[in-house]
Amino acid sequence: MCDIETLPPVGAEATLSVSFNGKTVAAYPGETILACARRNGYYIPTLCELEDIDHTPGTCRVCLVEIQVDGIDRTHMVTSCNTPVKDGMVIQTRSKKVRDMQKLQVELLMADHNQDCVTCNRHGNCELQDVAQFVGLRENRFYDPARVAAREIDLSSPAMIRDMTKCIRCQRCVAICRNQQQVDALVITGTGVDTAVGQRYGKSQKDSTCVTCGQCVLVCPTGALGERDETDKVLDFIYDPEVVTVMQFAPAIRVGFGEEFGLPPGTNVEGQIIAAARRLGIDIVLDTNFAADVVIMEEGTELLRRLKAKERPTFTSCCPAWINFAEIHYPDILPLLSSTRSPQQVLSKISKTYLPEKMGIDPKKIRVISIMPCTAKKDEAVRPQLAHDGDPDTDVVLTVREFARLLKNEGIDLKTIEPSAFDNPYISEYSGAGAIFGTTGGVMEAALRTVYKVVNGKELEQIELTQLRGFEGVRSATVDLGPDIGEVKIAMAHGLGEARSLVEQIRAGTADFDFIEIMACPGGCVDGGGTLRSKKHYLPHAMKRRETLFNIDRKTRVRQSHNNPQVQALYRDYLEAPYSEKAHHLLHTFYTDRSKEMALTVKEIWDEITMSTMVY
Amino acid sequence: MAQVLFGVWNGAVHDNRPGKDDRGVPPPELRDFEQFDEGNGIRAFVGDRGFFVFDESVSLIDTFWHYMDKAAEQSCGKCTPCRMGTVLVRDALGAMRRGLQSNLDLDQLAALAEQIRATSLCGVGQTCASALEQALAHFRDRFEEELKPAKPMKAQHGMAYMTAPCIEACPSKVNVPRYIDYIRDGKPEHSLGVILQKYPMAATCSRVCVRFCEQACRRNLVDEAVGIKILKRYVAEHQTGPHALAFSKDMIAHELPADMKVAVVGAGPAGVSCAYHLLLHGYHVDVFEAMSEAGGMAAIGIPSYRLPKDVLLQEMNAITNLGGTFHFNQALGKDFSVDDLFARGYKAVFLGLGCQEGTLLGCAGENRELVGYESGIGFLLKVHDHVAGIKETKLDGEVVVVGGGNVAMDCVRSAIRMGAKKVHLVYRRTEADMPADHEEIVAAHDEGIEFHVLTNPIEILSEKGKVVGVKLTRMEQTEKDAKGRRNVRAVEGSEFVLPCSIVIAAIGQQVNTTSIHAKDGVEMSKWNWVVADKNTLATSRPGVFAGGDCYSGPSTLIQAMANGLKAARSIDDFVRLGSTRFFPRSRMREIVQANKMLASDCIEVPVKNEYRVHHPELSPEVRKTMFGEVEQVISSEDAYRESMRCMRCYRIYSVITEHAIPEGAA
Repeated sequence: MCDIETLPPVGAEATLSVSFNGKTVAAYPGETILACARRNGYYIPTLCELEDIDHTPGTCRVCLVEIQVDGIDRTHMVTSCNTPVKDGMVIQTRSKKVRDMQKLQVELLMADHNQDCVTCNRHGNCELQDVAQFVGLRENRFYDPARVAAREIDLSSPAMIRDMTKCIRCQRCVAICRNQQQVDALVITGTGVDTAVGQRYGKSQKDSTCVTCGQCVLVCPTGALGERDETDKVLDFIYDPEVVTVMQFAPAIRVGFGEEFGLPPGTNVEGQIIAAARRLGIDIVLDTNFAADVVIMEEGTELLRRLKAKERPTFTSCCPAWINFAEIHYPDILPLLSSTRSPQQVLSKISKTYLPEKMGIDPKKIRVISIMPCTAKKDEAVRPQLAHDGDPDTDVVLTVREFARLLKNEGIDLKTIEPSAFDNPYISEYSGAGAIFGTTGGVMEAALRTVYKVVNGKELEQIELTQLRGFEGVRSATVDLGPDIGEVKIAMAHGLGEARSLVEQIRAGTADFDFIEIMACPGGCVDGGGTLRSKKHYLPHAMKRRETLFNIDRKTRVRQSHNNPQVQALYRDYLEAPYSEKAHHLLHTFYTDRSKEMALTVKEIWDEITMSTMVY
Repeated sequence: MAQVLFGVWNGAVHDNRPGKDDRGVPPPELRDFEQFDEGNGIRAFVGDRGFFVFDESVSLIDTFWHYMDKAAEQSCGKCTPCRMGTVLVRDALGAMRRGLQSNLDLDQLAALAEQIRATSLCGVGQTCASALEQALAHFRDRFEEELKPAKPMKAQHGMAYMTAPCIEACPSKVNVPRYIDYIRDGKPEHSLGVILQKYPMAATCSRVCVRFCEQACRRNLVDEAVGIKILKRYVAEHQTGPHALAFSKDMIAHELPADMKVAVVGAGPAGVSCAYHLLLHGYHVDVFEAMSEAGGMAAIGIPSYRLPKDVLLQEMNAITNLGGTFHFNQALGKDFSVDDLFARGYKAVFLGLGCQEGTLLGCAGENRELVGYESGIGFLLKVHDHVAGIKETKLDGEVVVVGGGNVAMDCVRSAIRMGAKKVHLVYRRTEADMPADHEEIVAAHDEGIEFHVLTNPIEILSEKGKVVGVKLTRMEQTEKDAKGRRNVRAVEGSEFVLPCSIVIAAIGQQVNTTSIHAKDGVEMSKWNWVVADKNTLATSRPGVFAGGDCYSGPSTLIQAMANGLKAARSIDDFVRLGSTRFFPRSRMREIVQANKMLASDCIEVPVKNEYRVHHPELSPEVRKTMFGEVEQVISSEDAYRESMRCMRCYRIYSVITEHAIPEGAA
């Protein structure tokens, strides 16, 4: 039950001795009771704490233990997550008092918690349910539906739902948004039983400074935060005889999906997804990887033009949370963003233009269903500049979690299904370059493979740019593109905190780069805000998923986007050339300043302040 | 002394009811518990460590409902037991007092009280259910008795007050944990809003406050005090810059008619604070200032490396934005008198004159006319003019500063910046005795100031009207006196001469002798400070109030601003009612203080050490050459981290009284 590995503090020696339930163990100075307990195999239930992001706000008060310290006879109840061990401390994790108080605590948590578990998207995968089971909650004396009814549900965003009727005030979302992503969009609102998590300046999700990266969803222990569920919309399309359904799935999906069906993390389930999509009744199954190759053709060409025009740096534009971030938080850098649409939007666009032309289908009948590891892709799909005559190019986006839900709804088990393969002769083949788009550094590596060829007329000898494959938040390198262009300075950042510091440096003139890849989620799309949730962990499978993507690259027939024969055919038969007028019209976009006005008056603030008053 | 009928305090059970055994527990020593306000006896008291009942007819259920109602209202809602527990307990007691069926029985109530006390995150939860828990454990019979009739109980009068050691320590009673909480919550503007409820000069205070709050901070018992001032500085940044919080007239709830005008004399921290609160009350305020700029001692007495002038200027705009008017170069005693002000139709006058005249050292050869002789305040004024580009002052040779307070520190640190070859600090007691802030002393050492402690001037040496040196004597500490204080005395034959071109006497100040004249009818003390009532700040002349240094002697910015607020309340009462009213919160503070309720406690369970952040500072070598601000603001990241260190040591105290407590403004 306790699978959280707690490493001993580096360089410390376990010089202290404490006892757990009567058994003496060695402890490290400064470590918490919880850390010591985990190292020694004593399970203590936790809820608000999240070891992977060093989050111990001590708000849930569930991880109680009874302690006795030297010199004091009576025992104290303390939360093990934030109480340090002391030499000679006597700790009880299972005394009657501990069990009773843990149980009462969970009962108090349930007093204003939405009890409609079966309708919740976390049902069966919920940390609160786990804790309630552990403490043996058998009655629920304090529950009052009126308290639940008083709490907010924010439905304003096309991407995410914030349902405070299920919030346990663990503040993990605030921590991830503030410390890791440094978007700092979330604040604590209200006091007492009205305490909740809200958007800065009391705005709705839609109008807030949130960029819908969805990292908060990954850490939420309950169903309080989640994506807007659109599985029904997909079923409506599938079962509409007038509609031709096209499904695409992102590079990262195939490596981050198997574990939901009991396969080892990082398993490549591309074939199973194709088979499952067909079983669902999808008419045409396509691969977003193909569009990634097209993006490289467009973005690479755009980059070379910008380099020649001394317009630098150029930022990548595949990541919709990054686009939101730039538009809302740094609108002054928008001219530096590549105008190339993201792979999702490129695929949707050519699925409604090139594909129907080739296949002889009425484009009006086509509906594109997109499976993405991302919550912000839902936001992207409804951008007005990515629609044709008011109809969005991408009709519906499902996160990995919704896709899993959909397959389960339809009784499809990925583990037992016979894998299949793509069969569309126009838009399904992909190069190794397209495959690695899903991990940090992948877009950069893919771009360099093609840009080098364009500039020098020959392939890059060393295909795998291992020097770019680190996992540091910001990585930079200098790459020699041959005599025509010379050396270019590149950088890659993953996680918006790292992106922010890089952007700040660019604006301050202290960083000098030609080409910068940004992925809003730490690790890139393989750990996107729309991927499967893990209980008690943050991004536990990052490296396995990444490695599988690199393996896919190694096994592909062609490894450069420009060598993908279907991409070559697309340009030959339809788009003419990368960055041609037609390509520009179909595959490029623009960005708008969406910064938020955040000025307040003292009067407005005074009206909102509680628990401190003027004294007259 | 008030007689306790029964109760529990600090674990000791008192039971003096007829027929009950008092168990040999000595009665608690309660000070000042006889009555709450005039003729209004205290019937019961509930606090963080227990409760007392003085009157047989008190209803415990109603008493604890009052108390828990405050707790539920003040629960921050972060942790589970306090958030939900206080509400459940309050509602159950509420049902009982109304004679209704409660959904919780006394056992469940006791279990919840224990849960709240034993498992809550902060001071509110850890202390608010303790008294109830004890009452249910030891006086359950009383609860059962009260429940028997099953009919509504007679409502009791009383009030509840929540405070914390840092709040009580602050002269302005700023709700410190609240503003730290707002930082944690991610709302620095609201944090600033909490401070602005008390005074408009948050940015100034965040730079120069002496931080009584940090001395009182219970985090000291764990590692170091919370960086309260550092955090204030962080939020005060929202008072300047592109998105500065706007002060506007909509902050004034009810504007009063045009004839409701008040004169404030002196635009220092006391005057500005008083004007601010009067304006918020709706008065029309004119501020008369002898200098050509606002800020008083904050403007001229605090060097720009600690408080940049533009910061102060911005804060003064609050007054004009609220409709107040500054009249500069208007000195009391020279340009107008107190009589003149009343003749001009002002309903009341606030004197915030400051203490601008240096006190003489009282040693041989001392003469204000000597070239090279300066008072501390006079010197800082020259520094101010120099930095402001009004008048250049050149220093050469060595400088001797006498004194050990913050003004002396400002003088030595300014002198080194003005190009003095060497700067000496002379102080008659030890360095540990210096009243200056520790940080200031350390900074002065770092900047190369030479300290001569246990040293006292006995003669100023001069030639042709110019200072050439100071004759000093070594001092030694005497044995401790009855109060445990050591005095100092001169060591015979230890005299020596320190040659210098400038000597600065920074040992004290008084009200400018030209401002108040006998005909003003305002009584002055022997130190030449204004005499005023400590509760109302009313002077001997009706309608005239005073505060700040001119009333207290040279003191702190925060003390002056607190005086300004108090005087504004008194003036409002005086103008509208003709007298000042009882202020219940102040009375609660008196009781808490008289019985040292916030003082005696320790932290029994281990708390993880998290050391405080510090201001980014420039290196001493760079900073001693410049008057630009030395301390920089901390990052949001650091502010969040520092705010997490606050333990929210709130405590709730409540009284049940015989009659209704008068609602007082002042």
